[in-house]
Amino acid sequence: MARPTEGTALLEVRNLEVRYEPKASRSMTAVQDVSFDIKPGEFVGLIGESGSGKTTLATALLRLLEKPGRISNGTITFDGTDITHLDQDELREIRWRDLSTVFQSSMNSLNPVVRIEPQFRDAIEQHSDLRGDDVSARVRELFDMVFIDHRFITAFPHELSGGMKQRVNLALALALDPKLVLLDEPTTGLDVVVQHSILQNVRKLQEEKGFAVLFISHDIGTVLDLSDRILVMYAGRIVESQTAQELLREPLHPYTKGLLGSYGDPRAETVRITYIPGRPPDLSLVSEGCSFAPRCPEKIDRCLTDYPELLPIESGEVACHVAALHRLGGADGVELPERTRRFVGPEFVKTADESAQARERDIVLTVDNVTKVFEKRRGLKVDRTVAVADTSFVLRKGAVTALVGQSGSGKSTLARMITGIDSPTEGRIVFHAPDGDQEVSSYRGRALRNYRSHVQMVFQDPYSALNPTKRLGQILERPLINYQGLKGDALRAHVEELLGTVALTPADRFVNRYAYELSGGQRQRVVIARALAVLPEVIVADEPISSLDVSIRAEILELLNDLVQDHDVGILYITHDLLSARMLADDVIVLNEGRVVEQGPALQVIRDPQDDYTRTLLDAVPNPF
Amino acid sequence: MRYFLRKIGFFVGTLWAVVTLNFLIPRLQPGDPAELMVRRLQGKDSQLDAAQVEAMRSMLGAPDGSLWTQYWAYLADLLRGDFGVSYTYYPFSVAEVIGQAIWWTVGLVLVTQVISFVVGIVLGAYAAWRRNSKLDTVITLGSTFLGTLQPFWIALVLLYVFGYTLGWFPTSGGYSASIPGLNMFFVEEVLSHSTLPAVALLIVTPIGWILGMRNTMIMNLGEDYIRLAKAKGLPDRTVALRYAARNALLPSVTGFALALGSVLGGTILVETVFDYPGLGRLMGEAVQNKDYPLLQTLMLLTTTGVLIANLVADLLYGVLDPRARRAEG
Repeated sequence: MARPTEGTALLEVRNLEVRYEPKASRSMTAVQDVSFDIKPGEFVGLIGESGSGKTTLATALLRLLEKPGRISNGTITFDGTDITHLDQDELREIRWRDLSTVFQSSMNSLNPVVRIEPQFRDAIEQHSDLRGDDVSARVRELFDMVFIDHRFITAFPHELSGGMKQRVNLALALALDPKLVLLDEPTTGLDVVVQHSILQNVRKLQEEKGFAVLFISHDIGTVLDLSDRILVMYAGRIVESQTAQELLREPLHPYTKGLLGSYGDPRAETVRITYIPGRPPDLSLVSEGCSFAPRCPEKIDRCLTDYPELLPIESGEVACHVAALHRLGGADGVELPERTRRFVGPEFVKTADESAQARERDIVLTVDNVTKVFEKRRGLKVDRTVAVADTSFVLRKGAVTALVGQSGSGKSTLARMITGIDSPTEGRIVFHAPDGDQEVSSYRGRALRNYRSHVQMVFQDPYSALNPTKRLGQILERPLINYQGLKGDALRAHVEELLGTVALTPADRFVNRYAYELSGGQRQRVVIARALAVLPEVIVADEPISSLDVSIRAEILELLNDLVQDHDVGILYITHDLLSARMLADDVIVLNEGRVVEQGPALQVIRDPQDDYTRTLLDAVPNPF
Repeated sequence: MRYFLRKIGFFVGTLWAVVTLNFLIPRLQPGDPAELMVRRLQGKDSQLDAAQVEAMRSMLGAPDGSLWTQYWAYLADLLRGDFGVSYTYYPFSVAEVIGQAIWWTVGLVLVTQVISFVVGIVLGAYAAWRRNSKLDTVITLGSTFLGTLQPFWIALVLLYVFGYTLGWFPTSGGYSASIPGLNMFFVEEVLSHSTLPAVALLIVTPIGWILGMRNTMIMNLGEDYIRLAKAKGLPDRTVALRYAARNALLPSVTGFALALGSVLGGTILVETVFDYPGLGRLMGEAVQNKDYPLLQTLMLLTTTGVLIANLVADLLYGVLDPRARRAEG
């Protein structure tokens, strides 16, 4: 179906403002002065990082805001009707029939105690004349659209995998042929390969059925891949609106440039990714001027005093003084920074030379033909699961080796064996200690404790890896006391040094704070500092950046890279994301169903993949370039 | 299916352990019950006559033979429903004594518990759905206040006000002058006698259900499937009942089955205050009179009750929550 490009808008948002006014704490404006249109059949992407207000905006559009949140200003017009203040009974007419949604973390959006069919049936019967077998037929049709076997129609939600649940949610959203589907981070938390296939499915269905989509995500790669037009949100406001091609060719707002810069070209000889320093503003405080100014490398005096209006510039709209002055003129007497399409901020660079040198370094750990079989007893039967099969690789001092695979590929099992939590069923893991080689599974008691001071873990989720009741100083002191026996002034000095190493300076501003006062990136720094406290030779980093915002990921990559360079640590970087593996790693090992399918220098694996599975992983990486 | 068989297996195993412990514990205690019995009949200072003790022993059916033969005999007796002779109500057997008392308690407990549960769940769900409304505040604050009161204290107040002062209800017993049987007069008597004990229980027992249901449901209301149900444009009623309450009910149902099992022991005080002829009062008497056979059987009954309730709760949970079946299976 041809997508209409003009005509009246399906969704018209004007000067929308959403405020949270809790009784117990400061009120804040989560969405401010937001205006945009979505035309029938248009695929619009909305990108923004955590705390940018994108989910609040989505909730407001669906009119699902709960107290203490409320729409405090502006209007939402959907299909000609002003729905800003419609009451719930009137809204019910529009819901699902015209406006449906797939939520973030949809793992949880099906009723766990009810089979799937009735959850389709209640929505369909509420809004259409279909009854009985006609509903079942419609459900089967919907399941076909998202490629799910009909036997799952009568299943309970927990019997489905994460990817299947998300497909079911998508099918549910399309049950009544809505005019607009709101997708709020629909694939976050899913494997890249699954994510890729679901999003392709969405795009194909959208083109066939002609519904409009508002696709909300923090992942600029997927948004660029799918959307016709893109809205960029920062600190509760829309800061840029452009078509996808234009945005890629000529990003106007420095924040957009920063987001694009965090996305490197994996095939380039030298990896260059930028990151945006600092963190988003606290929306409960009144700020003057542009809210991005404190993090902006292009700011001029005006940015600190006046908030820039969202102005039509070239083919899009942007809220930036500098962009406006560059393109619309009127800059008499104002000194402007050079016009650029790059983010002129801090940058993480990794050259091919560095990698070549790293691969010459000494081996610190050898994984030698390792197999791990898990046995699970069920009555008299024994189920054998081969988690890792006949895997060999080495870790080198001062080098990063990436272990890449989907969930269930055996990555975490390998990590557990390397840290001595599990031991291999067959094969050996040998640690090349200063005092001679030693097999990891032979360590017991004191020796194991000692070994763990050489091998440290950094976990995926910095939010749960830090004890919330302890100050940062205490968190870092513990390993220093346990493993190095430090006391008093020496201890304090060392804690400060560690904080300095991970760039949490000045240290005295951090020692007495709690983890919840820090941003995700800062927390991950603390986790890394804690790992460093025991002077490890190997760090096993399990998805260390996947729960962080894109704009600060490079910051952690840079930190890890510095550790490799300056402290001679060897890093095993575990990830499902081939792209981030390429950014940091010297060597890449691709793991599929417990087997190594490909292994070699990172650049070589990316440029010239030999195995089909590696190619599948590569194809799943959104590549807007 | 696997899940259910497994639960039943656990039940049988635990029941066997309970029965065995119930057999062993009294036999490990020092002292001869027959001697105690004779002393009690004669007063403390008298001389024990060996013949009397022996007579008492044979009369009470005191055990002989090895522990092993005793054990088998005990199991056989249990299967036949022979629990021995009560000391307090001699010559009535324990089975007869309990058989008379049990229906009074089961009637009282079953009726009050079912009413409490239904009232509690409905009020709790309503308070959660309309949270922070005036009615929610009244329900929550009221429950919290009443929850601090003890059932036996409420029983005393009720007894004083409605029994003695106003004289609306009889103050003790299960019935007075009528002949037990299915006649109007007797039924009326039973109802008027059990009203005060029932009210004493009904004031306190729904509170746990109200607060529990309200809290679980408020937590559930934040779940994505509730938001999605609202986004689907379903009527409030459907969202509240089929999505929110249906899920919030799960922990309460288990709790309810458990409460039914353990409540036999919980009515002792209320039954004592009203001199109500149920198991609670019986247990109080058994303790006071060192009536071992009666006490032992009551204990066995209570633990078995808890076990059965547990089994029912587990099985019910398996039916209500499909996830439980898989996690265990």
